[in-house]
Parts: sequence; C-alpha cells; structure tokens
Amino acid sequence: MKSLTIRNLSKTYFDPYAGKHVIAVHDVSLEVPEGEFVSIVGPSGCGKTTILNMIAGFIPVTGGEILVGGRPVKGPGPDRGVVFQSFALFPWRTVLDNVAFGPKMRGIGRTEREKIAREYLGLAKLTEAAGRYPNELSGGMQQRVGVVRALANEPDVLLMDEPFASVDAQTRMTLQEELTRIWQEKRPTVIFITHDVGEAVFLANRVVVLSKGRKLQEIGVDLPRPRSWDALNESDAFKALTSRVLQLVRAA
Amino acid sequence: MTAALQRVWGAYVRITARWPAIASVVPFIPLVVMWWAVVEAGVFPRVFLPGPADVVRSFADLVYKGILPDYLHDSMVRLAVGAFWGIALGIPLGILIGMSQLAHRALWPLLLFFQAIGDIAWLPILVIWFGYGLATMTFVIVYTVIFPVVLNTVLGVRSIPINMHRAALSLGASRLRILWEVVLPGALPNIVTGLRNGLGYGWRALIAAEIIVGTSGIGFLMFDARRAGSVVEILLGMIILGILWYIVDSWILAPIERATGQRWGLVTR
Repeated sequence: MKSLTIRNLSKTYFDPYAGKHVIAVHDVSLEVPEGEFVSIVGPSGCGKTTILNMIAGFIPVTGGEILVGGRPVKGPGPDRGVVFQSFALFPWRTVLDNVAFGPKMRGIGRTEREKIAREYLGLAKLTEAAGRYPNELSGGMQQRVGVVRALANEPDVLLMDEPFASVDAQTRMTLQEELTRIWQEKRPTVIFITHDVGEAVFLANRVVVLSKGRKLQEIGVDLPRPRSWDALNESDAFKALTSRVLQLVRAA
Repeated sequence: MTAALQRVWGAYVRITARWPAIASVVPFIPLVVMWWAVVEAGVFPRVFLPGPADVVRSFADLVYKGILPDYLHDSMVRLAVGAFWGIALGIPLGILIGMSQLAHRALWPLLLFFQAIGDIAWLPILVIWFGYGLATMTFVIVYTVIFPVVLNTVLGVRSIPINMHRAALSLGASRLRILWEVVLPGALPNIVTGLRNGLGYGWRALIAAEIIVGTSGIGFLMFDARRAGSVVEILLGMIILGILWYIVDSWILAPIERATGQRWGLVTR
C-alpha cells in the first residue's frame, strides 16, 4: 500500500456538439496518506468519476499531476486496483478465475494464484461460489467478487467508483459493513466515489466534497471502528457529520 | 379431452427430455405422412413425384453402388476446407477491423463492396482462372463463410463494454493478453453466430457450385439426376442436404453456443 498525491488536477473536454470546451475538473489537490480511506462525494456531473478515471489512468489529465507512492501515473496499471459500478467481471471466467486474474497476469503459477484467490474469496465469504460464473450470482455477490478481485492483486491504491450504487438497499448496507471490516484487516489506501452522503461518511476517514469540478471542503471522520449501521444509526456524531456533509452537497 | 391431451403432451415432454433425438424426428412425421398421402392419392404421376419408399430404395441403391458415400465425402471435405479457411481468415480480420479504427476505415467499404458480389457471381471468372476443381469450390465457400464471420466478429469485438478492457488493464494485462483474455472470449458468442450463419450460407453455396461446376458431390448428384430425369434422386439429394445441415448445426454449432455464450449469460437461451 502506498500514498496518493493529487496536485492541481484539471480536466477539460471538447464537446463537439456544443462546439466548446467543458471544464470537468478544476484545480483539485488531495493528499491521501498510506492506508487511509477517503470518500469523494458530490452530485452527478460534479467530476468525481472523471477524477477516478484519471487516477486509474483510463483518461489523460489536462493539467496537474497524480503520484502513487511518489511515481507519476502514466496510463492504467496494476498498482491501482479498480472496482466498477457495473462490476465488470469477466463473464467467461468462474469466480475463482476472475479473482485469480491479476495474479495470473503477474505470472504467478496456477496452484499459487488459486490459493491466493481462495484466501481472498474467504475474506468476502465467497468460498462456496468459487466455481460459479458471474451471471449465476446476485448483484451483491458479483460486487463482492469485484472488490476481492481488485484486492487480490495487492494494489497500492484501491479505486472504487460508486461500487454499491446498483445493488438493493439491504445488500448495500451489508456490503458497506463488510468493506469496513476488510479495510481494517488489509488497510488498503482507498478512494471511494459516491453520491450517497451516508455511505461516504460511514466508510471513510475523510470525506471530500466536490462541486462543479472543484473541491469544496475536506471533512475528517473520526468515528470509532469497527463501524456498523446499527451503532451509527444511533450515533449523534454520525448524524452531525452526515448533515454537515449533506448541507455542503445540497448547497453545491 | 383436454386432460387426455395434457397427459399425452406431458409424456412427450418427459420422453424427449430423456432422448432429445426423438424431438428432432417427431416434427417430420406429419410431413412424411402428408407426402405419402399425396403420392398415394395419385394427384401427380409417379415419375414427377415419387413417394417416401421410392426415395429410401434409391438411397439404399446409391449407398450400395458406393456413389452416395463418395459424393457425401466430397461435399463434406469441401465444406470443411472452406470453413477452415473462412474461420482462419475471417476471425483475425474481424478482430482487426473491430479493434482498429484505421483498419475499419480502410477495409469496411471494401468489405461491403465485395459482400454485394454474391458467391455464385464469381463462378464464371473462377472457372476460367481455376477450372472445375477444388480451388473453385473452396474459393466460393470461403467467400461465403467469411462475410458473416467477419461482420459478426466486428460486432462482437465492438460490443465488449469498455470497462472490461479497463478492468483487465488495471489488473496488469498487457494489450496482447487482453486480445486473448478479453477480446476473443468477449466476442466469441457473436463469432459463433457468424459461423452458424456463414456455414449455413456456405453449405448452400457449395451445392450451387457443385450443380454448376461440379464433377462430384451432392449438388452434382442432383444435377446429374435432372439430366437423367430421375426425380427420385433429386428428392433424395434435397433430403440429404437438410439432414446433413441439421446434424452439423445441432451436433457441432449449437453445443458450442451452449457451452460459451449461454453458459456465461451473454446470450439469452
């Protein structure tokens, strides 16, 4: 695990239909120390997914720089694991082979990489599903696979792009609790993109509020861990934090 | 009455679940019975429309003489050779066009132009170039197979969600490995569809080619029978065409489709 540094990041698109340049991200700086969990929250179109795509190296930056462990980002790479909203599991591979994919690309032999994959599947309580194909699983289980597939490759930074937005509300709460548990166990550096204020606060050490491509504010979250919805729903500190973030997002 | 029908239907479903081959034979029974009835009613003279029994007799006769096995063998070899080259050229070409914007711009118009010149439209010039042989036949089949394979492969490659590529890149896959690990399996259901169409067209093109330029094969058998005025052999040829394609499709192509796209949930059953 390594730290992530974003300096004066900006992104401008040319919109061929409108015939003009659109500013998606403007002068965003962010310092994420090793092992920290940062949520980036904001309304649709605020540029949060654009930031994640730039960190992942999927799209080029227009200005500024991104450093992972001090090294500048040039295109996608295994040092930054990504969890997608659409899961993006490989439908032609079993759950086990999906999770073993990263280690396979690193040249790790079959027995060893399957051992790694099984260990991570166990972490997400997916041992039973190892031999099944993604389309045979529920959405919640598919995204569990998506999370451990990224983790099993031991990235320096884990990037999560609204990963729980397309599962039902009950499953989402379970997944959020599991994610905090797994995070405590493995302590990865995480950037978590969401528009859900409660989710952002529940998971993170720090919440960054984004609006119209600009960073509005950073809010520290020092709620005790392990966190559970049962406990936090009763917590005044949690309520105060979420309402503060919510006000910022709504005013944005 | 309804209850009895339901019982019969239930029994049929159970039996065909156990022996699927029965399900592929039963639909033909009414057809053959009707054919037999029309022939027996004497609506047409026997020489114009022989009955099922005559065709079976002719089948036995041609098998006994060794003509039918030889011709069948020739047709199948031609189809296999043509299919092999159609696949070997069509899939890489489709992947290239599907992945490269440049290749797409350069080759797509050519592809559509040559697709319009139907397979059989090539025969006059092919006969002059290659004569009446395997080369001509192979060209026609490859030509017919390759277009559905290429077009469907392009479609398959292009329909792979961009996040699949991104996921693989973020897990450390190189561009070359993505070709093998993402592009090929992702496009496979479409490739199989292309093959199924391509081989279906190729089979028809082969018969047409055999009728026009052939010296052996099922198409030639039918053409030769017309010269001899033997309707029974023409009918036999037609029936063999149908049965052979049914076998190729349901024993080779459909199982591939079931084991890939359907298993992965990429195509609906």
